Amino acid sequence: MTLRRALTILCLAAIVAMSIGVRLMQVVFVDREPLARALDGFYDRQWPQYPHFLADLREHTKPGDTIAVVVPAMGWDDGYSYAYYRASYFLTGREVLPLVTPDNRRLPQNFLAAKYIAVFGVRLRVPADVIWQGDQGALLRLRR
Amino acid sequence: MTATLVAILSLTVLGIPIALSVDRSSRGPMIIGTSFLYGSGTMFLVLLTLSLAHIRWTLISVSVSALAIFCAAAVIARRRPATGNRQRPARPHVFDLLTIVTIAGYSLFATLVPLWEWDFWAIWGLKAKVFLETGAIDWRFLQSHWNTFLHPDYPLLVPLNFDFVALAGGWNDRWLGLLFVAWGMALLFIIRAMAAREMTPFYASLLTLGLAGIAVSTNIGLAEGALIAFSSAGVLFVRTGLLDDDAASWRNGALMLGFAANCKNEGMALLVAVTLAMLAVSWSRVLTVSQENHTARPRNRATARLLRLWPAYALAAPWLVLRATRALATDIAGGSALVRLMARLPHAHLILGYLAAKLYKPWFWVALLAGILIAPAAARRREAFVLLVTAIQLVFFAGAYFVTPHDIHWHVLTSWARLTGQITVPITFVVFLMLANSLRGGEDAPHDEATRPAVPARSDQ
Repeated sequence: MTLRRALTILCLAAIVAMSIGVRLMQVVFVDREPLARALDGFYDRQWPQYPHFLADLREHTKPGDTIAVVVPAMGWDDGYSYAYYRASYFLTGREVLPLVTPDNRRLPQNFLAAKYIAVFGVRLRVPADVIWQGDQGALLRLRR
Repeated sequence: MTATLVAILSLTVLGIPIALSVDRSSRGPMIIGTSFLYGSGTMFLVLLTLSLAHIRWTLISVSVSALAIFCAAAVIARRRPATGNRQRPARPHVFDLLTIVTIAGYSLFATLVPLWEWDFWAIWGLKAKVFLETGAIDWRFLQSHWNTFLHPDYPLLVPLNFDFVALAGGWNDRWLGLLFVAWGMALLFIIRAMAAREMTPFYASLLTLGLAGIAVSTNIGLAEGALIAFSSAGVLFVRTGLLDDDAASWRNGALMLGFAANCKNEGMALLVAVTLAMLAVSWSRVLTVSQENHTARPRNRATARLLRLWPAYALAAPWLVLRATRALATDIAGGSALVRLMARLPHAHLILGYLAAKLYKPWFWVALLAGILIAPAAARRREAFVLLVTAIQLVFFAGAYFVTPHDIHWHVLTSWARLTGQITVPITFVVFLMLANSLRGGEDAPHDEATRPAVPARSDQ
C-alpha cells in the first residue's frame, strides 16, 4: 500500500466519520422528552406565560386591529424585540406596532395610534378602558 | 399530521409528470426525489401566480391550477422521446439501513415540538401565516416600515409551501416540520441515484449515509432545508451536464437552481457562482483543446452552456422584478455598503481570522481540503466546476460580512454555520467521489479512466 493510498483511505474515513448524523440516529433510541422540553418554548423561557397571553389577545381582537405591546422589559435587546416579534406571529391579521426601535428610541406616536394597548406583566397608569383582563395582563383601549 | 403527509404526497404526485417531462428516463430514487422538489417548486409558482392574478388562495383554486399543470406536464412527458436508461439501478446496501435510521431520527427531531426557531416565527412562518389569512401575498404587510425585521426581500418559496400545507389541513406549527423531512429526503434520493451511477453500491451507500448527516438542515422552520435540497441538486445536475453533455441533466440543473434562487438570497448568489464557474471551466477546457487541434471555439461552447441555464434565470427573474417594483426593503445592501466595505477592508485579516475561528466543524473542512490535495490531479480537473462554485460562494459569503450593516461578530455567530452548511453537500460529493474512485481504480490505473463515469454519455437534445 502506497502512502497516497493510505492517506486516501484515512481521508475518506475522516470525511464519513465527521459527516454521519450520529446525534440524529441517537434521537430514535433515546428518551426524547428532555429534548422536547428544552426545545419547546426555548425563546419563551423569560416569560413562559407570554404565548398564552398572546393567544388570549387573539381571541379578543379582530383582523385589522392595531395593537401596541407593553412588557416588563422595554429595552430592545432586553426582551422587547422578543415581545414584539412574538406578538406579530401570534396576532397575524392585526397590525402590531412597536413602541421601541432597535436602537432603543421610544415611539410614542405608536402608543397613541394603536387601537389597543396590550399590557403584559406590568400595570399601566393611563386613562383607559379594560377590554379584557387575564392573569398575566390586560387589553386596554385608551380614552381619547 | 395526516393532512401534512397528504399535502407532501400531493406535491410529489404533482411533480411526477414534470420530472418525466424534464428527463423521460428518470426512475427509481431519482424520480422520487426530483418529483417532490418539482412539486414543491411548482406549488410556489402556482400560489405566486394566483396572488398576482388577484385570485384568492383556496383549496379549490390551488387544486384546479395544479391539476392543469399536472395535465400539461403529462402531455409533454408523453411526447418526449424515450432516451433509454442512463441510470444504473441503485442496488441497496446495508449502509442504506443506517441512512434510514438517520432520516427516522431527523423526522422525530423535526416534529418533536411546534417549530421553535426564532427565525421561523419572526420571518418564514410569520410571512406564511399572514399570507394564509389574507389568501394571497400581502404586499402591504411586506412594505410596512415596521416589518423590515422579517426581511421582506427574501424570496417566498418556503412560506408559500407552508401555505399550501396549511390550505390542505389548517395551520399547525408542529407538523410543518415534515416538509423539512421531505426536502431532505428528496435530496438524499437524488444523491443516492447519482452516486449509484458513478460508484459501487458500497461507496454510493456510504456517501449517502455520510451526506444524510449534512443534507438535512437542523434549522427546522428556516429556508435552509429547501435551499440545501434545491441548490445541491442543481449544482450536482449541472456537474453531470458538463461532464456527460447530457441535456436532461442540464434541464434538471437549471430548474433546480431556479427554485433555489426562490428559497433565499443565497440561492440567487449561487446562480451567479454557477454561471461564473461554468464559464471558467468551459473556457479553460476548450482553450486547452483548441491549442491542441485548432478546431474548438471556446466562445461558442461557453455561450451554448450559458444558454442551457436559461430556465434558472427565468425562474429567478420574477421575484427580482417584484421586489424591485414593490420596493421591498433589503438590509445587506441598505445604506452605504461601499462605505462599510472600505472601512472594513483594512481589517480583512481580522474578519477572515474570525470566520476561520468560528467555522462549524473545522476538522470536517480540513478533511475535505486534504481530500482535494490527495486526489489525483486529473480528478481535480474533472471536478473543477464544483470546486470553483464552492470557492466563489465562500468569497460571496465572506464579502457579505464586509458590507453587513449589522455588528460583524453578531452576524457571523448567527449565520456562518448555516451558510457553510448550505454549500457542504456538492463539495463533499465530489471529494468523496474523487477519493473513492482513485481507490477503486488502483494506484497504477490512469486517473482519467478511474474517474470516468460508469455509464456512457448521451445527449437527447
